Amino acid sequence: MSRLQGPLALKRKRPDSNSPSESLTEQERILYDVIRSKQDMGIWTRDMKRETNLPDNVVNKSLKSLQAKKLIKEVVNIQNKGRKHYMAAEFEPSKEISGGAWYVEGSLDTEFIDLLKDQCAKIIYKQRVATVEGILDVIRRTGIFKVEFSTQQIEEILRALVLDNVVMDVKSNGMGEFDSIPVGKVCYICTNKGVRGEPKAGAMASIPCGVCPRINLCTPDGIISPTTCVYYNKWLDF
Amino acid sequence: MVTPYGIKFAVHIVTSHFGNLVAKVCENLLKRGPLTLQQLVRFTELTSVQVKNSLLILIQHNCVQAFSAEQPDDIVNGQIQTQYLALFDNILHRLRFPKFLEMVSQELDKDCEQLLEGLLQHGRLTQEQMYERAKSFKSGVQNDARESFQKLVTARFIEQCPAPEPFVAEPSPDETPAKKRGAKSAKVVEVRKTLEQCVLEAAAPMEALRFSIMTNLEAENDTEMSKDSSPIMHAGEKRKSDTLELDGEFASDNKEVTLWRANFEEFIRCLRHKACVENVRARLDDGAAIVLRALLKATRAAENKVKMENSASLSLNSIFEEVMKSEAGRSMTLDRVRASLVQLGCPSSMAIDELYSVDLKNNIELARNDEVESIVLKRHGKDAYRMFRLLSKAGRLLETDKISDMTLVEKKDTPKILYKLWQDDYLYMEKVTVTVPRQLNFLLWKVNKTILYERVLDEMYHAALNLSLRTAYEMDQQKEVLAVPLAKRTGPLEKQCERIKKVKIYLESSLMKLDDAIMLFHDF
Ligand code: SF4
Repeated sequence: MSRLQGPLALKRKRPDSNSPSESLTEQERILYDVIRSKQDMGIWTRDMKRETNLPDNVVNKSLKSLQAKKLIKEVVNIQNKGRKHYMAAEFEPSKEISGGAWYVEGSLDTEFIDLLKDQCAKIIYKQRVATVEGILDVIRRTGIFKVEFSTQQIEEILRALVLDNVVMDVKSNGMGEFDSIPVGKVCYICTNKGVRGEPKAGAMASIPCGVCPRINLCTPDGIISPTTCVYYNKWLDF
Repeated sequence: MVTPYGIKFAVHIVTSHFGNLVAKVCENLLKRGPLTLQQLVRFTELTSVQVKNSLLILIQHNCVQAFSAEQPDDIVNGQIQTQYLALFDNILHRLRFPKFLEMVSQELDKDCEQLLEGLLQHGRLTQEQMYERAKSFKSGVQNDARESFQKLVTARFIEQCPAPEPFVAEPSPDETPAKKRGAKSAKVVEVRKTLEQCVLEAAAPMEALRFSIMTNLEAENDTEMSKDSSPIMHAGEKRKSDTLELDGEFASDNKEVTLWRANFEEFIRCLRHKACVENVRARLDDGAAIVLRALLKATRAAENKVKMENSASLSLNSIFEEVMKSEAGRSMTLDRVRASLVQLGCPSSMAIDELYSVDLKNNIELARNDEVESIVLKRHGKDAYRMFRLLSKAGRLLETDKISDMTLVEKKDTPKILYKLWQDDYLYMEKVTVTVPRQLNFLLWKVNKTILYERVLDEMYHAALNLSLRTAYEMDQQKEVLAVPLAKRTGPLEKQCERIKKVKIYLESSLMKLDDAIMLFHDF
């Protein structure tokens, strides 16, 4: 769990650009300039070759040496993980390349997200009514996470929780439970299910046919039919 | 919406209640739209007598309505023909009889329930026939029965039967019967609906007569008069040769009498109200549920159709009065009632004599969402559930990447999940290609509720059919075991019996629950 230790998308210090880049060969310099010109978007090796007009082996060799000198780095492009993508060392991959704050090396950090979601839900269930700022404040004070979150990040987590139907977003009416919150401010309250509760299964979701992958193939006298159905056999196996 | 599996399920119900011949006639009517007797004979390949008898049964049980209209192809000789129209909704209501009975026993009493039960069993009865039936039960003092009858009429749970064969103005070419209503011809289904409405409207007794007992009593006293004024009598209207002699079947000596039947509309209205109240209880709290229940109960008679968008209006004082009538509401204060009304979406600043009305359409819509979402969750998992809810709330097209960001789902998985939902008809997809600066394809997604609901409803009918078929199959399998007398059921036999009992209860209660969901999408 790299995220728990390392800072989240913290801008790296610009390396002393003078010293290592002094000693570049002609081709390395051309390549480096192209890569650097792409800033936080980086560039795909194929495009590099096309733009620099350098032969394959030269490009490959130069890339290695630039990497060894820590001038460039390989990054994962979320749009196309198979393609080798390079970026000047001083840049952090843009959202388009990295997938955004929740991505680590091209993969969604679901474990981390789930942990954070869980915490947020717990806070809301404890406070009954909570605002983004309030939640952020609790997270900061408890110090469970070693990283700083922005309001926007917490909002994204809360939106996912709302979509999960774990919490609801409502506007404060300034009365009752909301009396400490300005009227009209969006706050989060619990749905009536408890933190881990699944939403109540509907009528269809509680019978085999309602969730059956083969319902389109199932006919009264067909090969797949309610009388021969294995899902029913299992369901009625008291 | 009458979907293909809806028709199959309806035919199944008719088959199990009235047998194959009747079902065959009914199936043709459901699939082809209204037909004449000759057409029915041709399509079913049954004899004319068989078809006639089947129609009589279907009409007796309110599953078919006859009407006369000028046949477009007969315009030349201006012939008026009797046609028969299957009433899909009423066929499905047969499934709900236990619910109707329970409602009457709760709202009125056991005697009323018994009276209604007879009516449901026989489809249509005269007042006298109902009393006769009541007499055969131990409680049967005529006066009690009369009282129960009165109560049922006052509560609008029973009504006078519609005219046997109203005349409907010549249907436009689109509405010609015998048009095949296939799987995808939604338009034709719509057209049929309007025709059905026309026929039902033409057949319905005048509002004043519908729930009036007086006319009937007068009719009983004065046969002469009834011949002219009975609501089901259409004096001067010549019957065609293929018209069924209903009167001969159900009334002695060809005397016109008033027939009564259960008023399904009222039952469905009550079930709708009940569903709304339970939704509110789950979504908000008991207080809001009590208030809504009181409001709906007090204004029920003011509703002129089942699918009311908003409840009828009532003043705060009247609402409070009604709330006080219920055991659970007695502890509520006026302020609490007012607060509950705010919860229910009524503006808070209303003066005491202002009228309150609650949005029911939205309530139903939320319940439908819940049902569909829970299917998505079970079938496609949590990520899909989030995506579906996002799109359902957004109500507009969203792009794949945006969906992935907003639901926190891995970018490479998102299109796959969306695609599956689309394949299942839960989503609508649109491809957009941009050529500048370079060619890029975007996929946009949206929830199309109209298409989705039709799809879900059809699956529900399919599932209901399967549940019924499975129940029949289980019972059939265990026929011999169940035939063993109770005393001899020991050891493994006893266990088997226990199992089959459980299975039966399980399947039947699932069907009832599923039927609630079907009503949610079809009737509410
Ligand atoms: S009967 Fe079985 S196979 Fe057919 S739809 Fe239902 S669960 Fe699926």
